[in-house]
Amino acid sequence: MIRRLSPWSVARALLLWVAALTVTLPLLWVALASFKSPAQLNDPGLVIFNPNLANWARVLEAGILESAGRSAMVAAVTVAISVVAGSMGAYAISAYKAGGSATRFGILAAQVLPPAVLVFPFLTMAYALRLDTTYVPVIFAHLSFVLPVITWFLIGFFDAVPRSLEEQARVDGFSRFAAFRLVVLPQVLPGIGAAAIFGFTLSWNDMFYGLILAPTQETILPVAIAAFNTFRGVELGAMSAAIIIAVVPVVIASFFIQRRLVQGISGGAVKF
Amino acid sequence: MAEVRFNKIRKEYGSTVIVDDIDIVFPDGSLTVLVGPSGCGKSTSLRMLAGLEEISGGEITIDGRVVNGLEPKDRDVAMVFQNYALYPHLTVLENIAFPLRATKTGKRDALRRAQEVADSLGLGALTSRKPKDLSGGQQQRVAIGRAIIREPAVFLFDEPLSNLDAKLRVETRFELMQIQRRLGITAVYVTHDQEEAMTMSDRMVVMKDGRVAQSGQPEEIYARPNSVFVATFVGSPKMNIIAGAIAGGEFRSSMGSRVALGAHVRQESVILGVRPDDLLLTPNPAGLARVALVELLGPRAIVHLDAGGDRLTSVVDADRLSDLSTGIAVDLAVRPGAAHFFDPDTEDRIELS
Repeated sequence: MIRRLSPWSVARALLLWVAALTVTLPLLWVALASFKSPAQLNDPGLVIFNPNLANWARVLEAGILESAGRSAMVAAVTVAISVVAGSMGAYAISAYKAGGSATRFGILAAQVLPPAVLVFPFLTMAYALRLDTTYVPVIFAHLSFVLPVITWFLIGFFDAVPRSLEEQARVDGFSRFAAFRLVVLPQVLPGIGAAAIFGFTLSWNDMFYGLILAPTQETILPVAIAAFNTFRGVELGAMSAAIIIAVVPVVIASFFIQRRLVQGISGGAVKF
Repeated sequence: MAEVRFNKIRKEYGSTVIVDDIDIVFPDGSLTVLVGPSGCGKSTSLRMLAGLEEISGGEITIDGRVVNGLEPKDRDVAMVFQNYALYPHLTVLENIAFPLRATKTGKRDALRRAQEVADSLGLGALTSRKPKDLSGGQQQRVAIGRAIIREPAVFLFDEPLSNLDAKLRVETRFELMQIQRRLGITAVYVTHDQEEAMTMSDRMVVMKDGRVAQSGQPEEIYARPNSVFVATFVGSPKMNIIAGAIAGGEFRSSMGSRVALGAHVRQESVILGVRPDDLLLTPNPAGLARVALVELLGPRAIVHLDAGGDRLTSVVDADRLSDLSTGIAVDLAVRPGAAHFFDPDTEDRIELS
C-alpha cells in the first residue's frame, strides 16, 4: 500500500511542525537551562551535560513557592468572582440581549486600553482605602480584564441553551433566578469550567498589575521571576527554574480545556 | 379546575399588533384548541396566559382571579412546549418530579409521586434514563408527566405533537385527550393543524391576524363557517371556493363553469363554497368540467377537476372511479342544502334560501 500525500496535507503537516517547534523549543531550552551551571549556561547549544539542582535550590530558597501560592490565591479569588458575575452577565446578554447587540463585543472594548491607563487610578484608590498592603487592589485590577473575558467566553455557551428551558422552569413554579440556577446553569457547567481555567491563567500570567499593586515584600509569581534580573545581571539558571514552575500549571490546564476553549471562543465570536 | 377568560386581550410589539383585543372564554374542564395559520397570534395568546409574555392590554382571569401581573410560577398553570423542554441534566424521574421541588413536597414523596405518574404513562422502566436517551414519543410523555404531576388549574399545550411522526401523532393525540378528560383540567391547546383541532377540541377558536375568526364547537364551525377564511382553513381537502352568480337554479362561475343548485334564488354576485364531499359529479360528454387527476386514498378518492379555469376537488367513493378516469367530462352539482354562500366583498357568510 502506498499512502497518497496531497500537497495540501504535506503543507499542513509542515506548518503544524513549525508551529509546534516554535512553541516547544524555547520551553525545552528553558527546562534544560534550569539544570545547568553558570558556566554551562554560556553554551546555549549544550544538550548533554551533568544536570545539577543548584538553580532549583536557589529559587526555592528565594521563596518562589510562596510567590506561586500568592499568585494562585489572587487568581482563585478573581476567578470565583468572575465566574459568578460573568455567568449571570453572559446569560443576560445571551438571552435578554442586555445592553443591546453592542454589548456582546463591546464588553471586550476595555481590553484595548493599555494597563498603564488603569494602574494609576487603582494605585491611588488602594492608598486612599489603605488597602495597599493587601492583595485586594491586584484582585480588582485582574477583575478588570478577567471578568469581561469570562463573560464574553460564556455567551456562546448560553446561546446554545434553548430559551424554553428557562420558560419551562418558570411555568413549573420557579422564579427567574431559580430557573437560571437550577436549569440553565447546569447546561453550561463544562463551559464554566473552561472559562474558570482560562481566567485563572490570565490572572496567573499577569505581571504588570502585580508589580505595581501587590505588596512590595510579598511578591506574586511573575514579579518574583523578574526579580532574578538583578543589578549584578540576569541569574539565568534560577530564572529558568522559576519560569518552569510558572509555565507547567498553564500547560496542564490548557491540555484539559483545549476543546472547550475553541468552542467558547468560536461560539462567542460567530453567533450574533 | 378553573374557567379562563380573555377580556379584550391585546399584544403589541412596538407598532405591530400581534393580538387585537380578543375575547375568549375557556370553559372549566374543557379542551379548547386555538388554531390558525402561523403568525395569527395563537402562540402569543398562550404565552400571555402562561405569563411568559407581557399583556399590552385587557385582562386574563383564571378562576375569576386576574393574573395579568403574576409571574408564571404564581398562575398555577402547566405547559408542554413544542420541543418538550426536558431538563437535559436530570433523569426522567427527576424531570417529572421537578415541579414538586418548587412546592413544599418532601423529596421522597416527590419521587414516589413521580414514579406513579411515570408508571401511568408507561415510562416506568425508563425512569433512570436521561432525556437524550429517549425517543421522541417517550420525551413527549415525560413532558406530559411533568405537566400533570402538580395537578395545575390549567394545562397549556404549545403544538405538542408537531415534532412527532404522523402515526405517533395520532396515537398521542388520543392519549392526551384521555388524560385531559380523566383529570378534568381546563386545557388550552395551540396548533396550526386543523385536523388536530377538529378531532381534539371541545371548543375550537380559529384565529387569523390576531383576531378570532370564529369560535364554537368544531362540528358547528365545520357546518357553518362564517367566512371564506374559516371555510377554507377547516376541513380537508379544502372547501372549493368559486366566485360567480346564481340564476335559474344554477351557479355560473365567472370563469364559465356551472354548478347545479337546489335553491331557486337569484343573486348577481356571490362566492359559492362547496366541500369536496358535497360536490357531485355526473359524467356527461357535454359537461364543462374535466377530470384532471385522480388520487386514490383507499375507499375514497380525491378527484381534481378543471372547470373552465376553476380548479375544484371532489371526494368520491372509490367504486365510482370506473366512470371517472382522467379526461372525462362531467356535470357538477351540489348536494342539496350543502352549499355555502359568502359575500364577494366582505367574504362573510350570507344565508340564501
